[in-house]
Formats: sequence, structure tokens, C-alpha cells
Amino acid sequence: MFHHDSPEEAAFRTEVRTWLEANLPATLRGRTNRPPPAELMPWYRMLSRKGWIAPHWPKEHGGMGASLNEQIVMTEELARVGAPQLPAQGLNHIGPILIEFGTEAQKAKHLPPIIAGDVIWAQGYSEPGAGSDLASLATRATLDGDRFVVGGQKIWTTWGHHSDWMFALARTDPQAQPRQAGISFLLLDLHSPGVRVRPIRTIAGDDEFAEVFFDDVAVPAQNLVGKLNDGWRIANALLGHERLGTSNPQFALIALERIKTMARASGVMADPAFRDRLAAASINVTALLALFNHAVELTNRQRGLGPDSSIIKIFGSELLQSLNDLLIEAAGSEASMENPVPTAFGAVDVSTSFLQVRRATIYGGSSEIQRNIIARRVLNLPQ
Amino acid sequence: MDLNLTSEQSLLREAAAKFGAAAGPKVARGWRGREPGFAPARLRQAGELGWLGILVPDAADGSGLGLTELALVLEQAGRGLACEPLGLAAVAAAALAQGHAPHPMLQRAMRGEALVVPALQESTHADDPLALRTRATGDRAPRLTGTKVSVCAGGADGFLVSAGSADGAELYYVSRDALGVHLKTASTVEGRSLATLKLKDTPADLVPPRQSSRSAVEALTDLCLIAVSAELLGVMAGAQELTFEYLRIRKQFGKPIGSFQALQHKAVDIYIKIETTRSLLYQVAAANDPYRIDPAQAVAVKAKASEDALSVTQACIQLHGAIGFTDEHDIGLYLKRALLLSSLFGNAAAQRRRYADIAELTM
Ligand SMILES: Cc1cc2nc3c(=O)[nH]c(=O)nc-3n(C[C@H](O)[C@H](O)[C@H](O)COP(=O)(O)OP(=O)(O)OC[C@H]3O[C@@H](n4cnc5c(N)ncnc54)[C@H](O)[C@@H]3O)c2cc1C
Repeated sequence: MFHHDSPEEAAFRTEVRTWLEANLPATLRGRTNRPPPAELMPWYRMLSRKGWIAPHWPKEHGGMGASLNEQIVMTEELARVGAPQLPAQGLNHIGPILIEFGTEAQKAKHLPPIIAGDVIWAQGYSEPGAGSDLASLATRATLDGDRFVVGGQKIWTTWGHHSDWMFALARTDPQAQPRQAGISFLLLDLHSPGVRVRPIRTIAGDDEFAEVFFDDVAVPAQNLVGKLNDGWRIANALLGHERLGTSNPQFALIALERIKTMARASGVMADPAFRDRLAAASINVTALLALFNHAVELTNRQRGLGPDSSIIKIFGSELLQSLNDLLIEAAGSEASMENPVPTAFGAVDVSTSFLQVRRATIYGGSSEIQRNIIARRVLNLPQ
Repeated sequence: MDLNLTSEQSLLREAAAKFGAAAGPKVARGWRGREPGFAPARLRQAGELGWLGILVPDAADGSGLGLTELALVLEQAGRGLACEPLGLAAVAAAALAQGHAPHPMLQRAMRGEALVVPALQESTHADDPLALRTRATGDRAPRLTGTKVSVCAGGADGFLVSAGSADGAELYYVSRDALGVHLKTASTVEGRSLATLKLKDTPADLVPPRQSSRSAVEALTDLCLIAVSAELLGVMAGAQELTFEYLRIRKQFGKPIGSFQALQHKAVDIYIKIETTRSLLYQVAAANDPYRIDPAQAVAVKAKASEDALSVTQACIQLHGAIGFTDEHDIGLYLKRALLLSSLFGNAAAQRRRYADIAELTM
């Protein structure tokens, strides 16, 4: 939208569009819920074989080494066909972390299976007592010879019950002050003895996350990423990436299309007051696209946005929620129907989408926490 | 802010609170996806307590009370997430009692032995309740043809259907078992189902208006708006209680999260929304005759209750963090109930559209 494709980019766009149209199964298009692994992973592997699974990874690790503009083309084209959300913990979190902080052995062991889609990763940060206050986490890892012994519990672990590996924060020095200084970053095989996983059903009715219990789980010492007690820095180093990832305008663009379809079908598109709200929402989506492009640009140049990345997390997630408010408005008395609402222009998923987006302002640091970050670290307001 | 209630009204509210508390989120959860999604015995109990005939005049064996009493009962039912459709049953009973001679279904409807529900909406946006596509033909023995949407038909024995006749919009009683009745139900995320009601040359009884009211259809429409709004108020109040309790017990950063000013302000905004909706609802209830409600006032109440209930219950999820996003936690049930009720008989935007037309804003 803010950028005109160069001839090479235009050719790339055509190639991507044609390939996606030909290869993305119809059953995976326009889904609100993330499809389960049995449905989703074959598609993941297909993208992988095409060489397109990790546009933002360097070529040496199996990525595309794509330019910024190529990455944006890819995002736009995936949104256009209504591609499903892929499991992001490997591609967007632990992958880039290992590329930055991992040992050669860790990279060699873990990066190829992420690219191939053979291994699914989970993020083990939150605990029942440690949500917004992550530094209070209590899961312990005690070094015992050449292994850590891990005990405790993680919760809200996205796809925990489908995952093979977890990257986890654990307390390795209970006495350390500040508490952040006693935390290490570990890679944990979820098929190890002593790991128990219970799926948790969400408000939208799917099993998107899980709780994971550790009962004296042995973790080889070479699965430590970075130095002992340096886990907090590593986990935070790439937080900006996570905030960017969760605010991808793809979701807003899809929501906007849903609203338009629903409003045309229900007739409210004729209401000037509704059109005014739709116009306002649409302008905000444009602003999100601009903000996202701007952020990706900065990230590519100086590695990380710093605390400013909170702006995009707040704006993107709250916009997504207001878009869904407009969607239920457009759906009228069909807003609460469990199944997608059939219309003359195709079925529109209304209530599931509305319920799903509750999470956007909670995970990856809640809106309140992001506002605290901006107030303190960007605006330097007095404490 | 306290309501200024008589001692009878306070007692009524207490009894209704007990009835609501005997339901609660655990029970509501158990009814999800079942048909009908409520306990018929509890509907009869509400009938015995006189709540289904609460608006029905003494002369027709009802309680002969007003909108304030109706709202007091329904607020508590909503607060307890009661699944029994007390509100729709009570306003339907009021409608059945309108004519010179009450409709034969009235007695059973008032006792909760039969369930009659309104079937008024023809579009998902419920714009003008009197502009109807459903047609009534035949003077002596009317027959109806048309389609009603978003009908709370679970467990219903009959419907109060609006239709256009030679004399304008009229209200009719249609039995569930009547010829040409076709119901298509689909489930909602809230757990109960909504139905599309198709009528084809279906025999129906005319339900005449009460002398004092402008039209039976208008009277029932406005009653529905008030009843659903009262329940929405209760849903907000229930969500508020659960959430404010959580703000006191959940600790992060070594303190109860309710001690953070950002959350205190959110809590206050929730409180203000609920209190302003409550004032509006009870002022309108006190100022209006159940059979002749000022439509602009009914529409205003439903608009505000619908908008506030959605925003309050959404904020309540946010204040809970991830646990509020689970199916296991009860707070989500309030959001889903608010989503359903706010959408019925016209959502907030639809009410605002009507309000702009009828409230003489530009005078
Ligand atoms: C769908 C989903 C997927 C998730 N996936 C993962 C995952 O894969 N791995 C993982 O580790 N975690 C995951 N999480 C957890 C997520 O990171 C936490 O939910 C988040 O950090 C908030 O913690 P909490 O839920 O305990 O809420 P709490 O921290 O208890 O917060 C409750 C409320 O208090 C507010 N609050 C807390 N502290 C303050 C403060 N100082 N000032 C103002 N307000 C405050 C919060 O904003 C919130 O509104 C996921 C969460 C969700 C919803």
C-alpha cells in the first residue's frame, strides 16, 4: 500500500500468489481457529519444501534471507488467500534466539527440524503465580553434575500438548537479587520422563493452550542457552520480535474483510452511521500497516525497536478487538451463533472470531503492562 | 447507588436473588447445548412465586405489579445467569392477558406449565417492529405466512407473532404444533439455541391490544426491550462481583492487582456503566405503564444496556488475564450471555438507529 513493487518484487508477488492459490487447501483458508497439527503441519511442510517457511531467517540456516519488501509481499499474499496461522514458537521465537545466542551444536540440532516442520516448540514462560510479573517465576532448575533437575509448573503454554520441545525460563539461583538475575534459559524435551501436559480449553472452545508439570525432569546441561543465570536477558532480547509478530496486520485485514461481507449481507452497509465506523476502522487498519512497515524497517536496520514496540502491540491488538466489535454489530442477532453465519457472500465466522481476539490484549504482555512500559521507558514519566 | 424501594419490593428482590443464586454459573454451564437449556421445574417455581404473571392484571389472576417489579426480578435472574427464560415468559404472559377476555394459554403460561415466547424479529437488525413482511389473512380465522428470526424457541409451546393484516400490525398466538410451523434451530456460543420460525398458512389467534396501548405489537416489543435490558444489567452486575473479588485476591508484583491505579480506573469505569444503566432502567420502569411504554425510552434502555454489557464483560475478561480466556473460568459465561442478550430484538446500533428516528432529536 505504501510501496510500489519493483519489477523483481512484482514478479515475486505473482509467483507467490500463483503458488498459494494452487497449493493452499481450501479447507485451511479463512479459518478463525488454528487448525490442529494433523491438518496444519502438512501445509507447513509444503511451504518448507518450497523454501518459503522462514522468509526472515538467513539462508545459511534454511531461511529465505528475504529482503524486507519480500517479507511484506509474503505477509500480504498469505493474508490475501486467508492462510492459517502457523505455529510461531519455533519460527519466530526460539529459532531467532538460537541463531543469536545458541551454540553451534544447539543450532545444528534444533534449527533444521524447525525449518522442516518435524518438531513443534512451546514457550514455557508463564506460571500460575507469574503472569505479568514474570520475574517471580518459581519453576526450579538445579544443576546436578552434567544435568539440570527441573521441578515446577508452566501454564498457558500455547500448543503445549502438541509440542515436542519447550524453551523455558527456570530459576537457577533462588537467592539472587534482583530476582531477574537468578533465571536461566533452558531447552527442554517434552517427551522426557516426569513431564505431564494437560490441554486447557479456551473461551472460544478450542484447545489452544495447556499446562505443563515438571516432576524432577532431567535436562542435559548442554541445553542451557547462553550463560547460567543470564536467561532474563535472552528472553527479553527478542521480545520486540514477538510484539511485531502478534500485531501482524494480516489479522486486521482479514477482520476487515469479514466485517464487509457481514455488513453487505445483513444490510447495515446502507447505514451511514455504520459506514462512518467502518471508515474509521479501515483508516486505523491503514495506520497499522504503516506502523508495521515502519517497525519492520527499523528492526531490520538496528535490530530491535526497543520499548517502542509496545506501541504496535497495543495499537494492533486493540484495533483487532474494535474490528470484532464492529463485526458483531454487523451480524445483528446472529452475533452469538456458534457456527459461521451463512450469507449470500459465503459463511462468516463471527462469534469465534470475537471470542478469540480477547487474548490479543492479554498474551505477550497485556495492554496494561505495555502502557506501563511506554510510560516509564519511552516517555520517562516520573515513577 | 441504592434504589429507593418499598419493603415489598425489597422482599421481592431478595427472593429473586435467592432464585438467581440457586442457579449461578455452575448450573448455567451444565445446561449448555441441551434442549431445552433450562429446568422446567424452575420455570414452574417462578410461576408459583407469581413472577411470570407479575405484570398480568389482578382481574386475570396475575400479580398486577409494574415494570419496577419485573426489572427487580429479572436483574437478579441475570445476575445468577439463570437459564429459565423468565423475562420472555413474563412479557408474553402480559401480552396474552391484554384483550377483553385473556387468551386461553394465559393461565398455563403464568404458572410456567407452558412456555410462550415472542417471535417478533424479521431481520437480524430488528429495525422497525411495525414494518412487517409476515402477513395475516382471514378475519375470523386468521392464518399467518412469513419468517421470524432469532427466536428463543427452546422449550416453547407457542409463540407471539407479529404480522401485518388489513388493519396494520397485529399480534397473534401460534401454537408450536400448529399446521405449517417449521422451526430451524442453531446453537449459540452461550449454550442455548436460536431458531428461525417459518409459518406457512398457519392458523393463529389474534391477541388484541389492551385498551390503553397503541398497539399490541408495540407494547410487546417495548416489554421485550425492558425485560432483556434488566437481565443484561444483572449479567453486568454478576460479572462485576466476580471481577472485583479477583482484583482483591490475585497478586502480581507482590500486591493485589486491584491496588494498581490503571486497574482501579478500569474498575471504576465498569461501576459507572452499571450504575448509569441501573438508574436509567429503573427510572424508565417507574415512569411507564407496562402496556404503554414510551418506545423512545424502551429503545434508549436497550441501547445502553446492550452497549455497556458488552464492554463491561469484555473488560472483566481483560482484568482476569489468561484465566479469563479459558472455558473453565466462569467469567466467560457472562460475556457470552451478554453477547446473546445484547443482540436480541436489535443490538445497540439498531436501537440507536430507531432512537434517532423516533426520539425527535432534531426538533
Ligand atoms: C491465548 C494465550 C496464549 C498464551 N501463550 C503463552 C505461551 O505460549 N507461553 C507462555 O509462557 N505464556 C503464554 N501466555 C500467557 C501470557 O503471557 C500471560 O497471560 C500474561 O503475561 C498475563 O499474565 P496473567 O494471565 O497471569 O495475568 P495477570 O498478570 O494476573 O494479570 C491480570 C490483570 O492484571 C493486570 N496487571 C497485572 N500487573 C499489572 C500492573 N503492574 N499494572 C497494571 N495492570 C496490571 C493485567 O494487565 C491483567 O489485566 C498466553 C496467554 C494467552 C491468553
